[in-house]
Amino acid sequence: MGLKRNVGLIEGLRYQGKGPMLTYILHRIGGLAIVIFVAVHILSSYFGGNIGIFFNTFYMHWAFQIFIFFCALFHAINGLRIVILDLWPKLIEHQREAIWVEWAVFLPIYAIAVFVIARTALGG
Amino acid sequence: MQITIKIFRYNPEKDKKPRYESYKLEAVETDRVLDLLEKVKGYQDGTLSFRRSCAHGICGSDAMRINGFNRLACKTLVRDTGAKITVEPILGLKVIKDLIVDMEPFFENFRSVIPYFVNDEPEPAQERLQSPEQRERFDDTTKCILCACCTTSCPSFWANEQYLGPAAIVNAHRFIFDSRDRAAAERLKILNDIFGIHRCHTIFNCTLACPREIQVTKAIGEVKKAIVTGSLE
Repeated sequence: MGLKRNVGLIEGLRYQGKGPMLTYILHRIGGLAIVIFVAVHILSSYFGGNIGIFFNTFYMHWAFQIFIFFCALFHAINGLRIVILDLWPKLIEHQREAIWVEWAVFLPIYAIAVFVIARTALGG
Repeated sequence: MQITIKIFRYNPEKDKKPRYESYKLEAVETDRVLDLLEKVKGYQDGTLSFRRSCAHGICGSDAMRINGFNRLACKTLVRDTGAKITVEPILGLKVIKDLIVDMEPFFENFRSVIPYFVNDEPEPAQERLQSPEQRERFDDTTKCILCACCTTSCPSFWANEQYLGPAAIVNAHRFIFDSRDRAAAERLKILNDIFGIHRCHTIFNCTLACPREIQVTKAIGEVKKAIVTGSLE
């Protein structure tokens, strides 16, 4: 009878959940990126030699560092927001404001980090 | 104004795959999406299938994805959607035909949380008394109309339909925090299951989708806290 369950990755990503859905997706991407980052570190040490140097140049590249810092910082701050709301459910009424606070904390820290990484990379 | 409404179509007796069909029709800003669907069915394509009943946001029959977001068609005005509207069935349930989904997994989850009053103590001579404060404790969650907007907006439910989902938890909350009820411990045990409340990742899609503006995530948070602390305070 009928279709199978009508949901998959693409259908899920198409859902217009606005701000909260965006933080959820970024949190998952961030978690995955952190796992990849740690895995590359471990593989680099495990293999050593030319393969290790290849992995080193990959994760030490400034563009990758800007990306991974976005993932790690967002994952941390978003996780903190969720922990706080889970521990004090009364605050959940202010979840919209909590997301704005999250971005207000995240953006300046990230902007400073990008500036420092880029300036260092460009020899400033 | 002229409206273009693009509708998800699937007839299991004819179609191998779902498709979308667009219809053009005249509407005013205060028309509801349900009115547009009725016009399409009445004047352009009688084969279109969708659920509706009261048409006033009470029965919860006409939950659907409108422009990618779960809403009740009877509470969504054209002025809020614009002239191009896409209507699709809610996610995470099997499509029976067009916009009609199989709600049975949703209601099965609902039934599993004992969503009714339990008290085996001898009945008092008059009614079971409750203070206004005690009644206020679960007032928000009495508003649920079981439309499934919340549950089918939840990524955890999309991932696994065995997850009880926000609507079942909201209805458990309604009785867990009722001072006259005596089955809170049993419900908390059910919700503490592997497919229970801990699958909620505090995403908030449910709260935004609820057409009755229930603080769904807050209710879930209160039940989580009750499970962890063992206290209903």
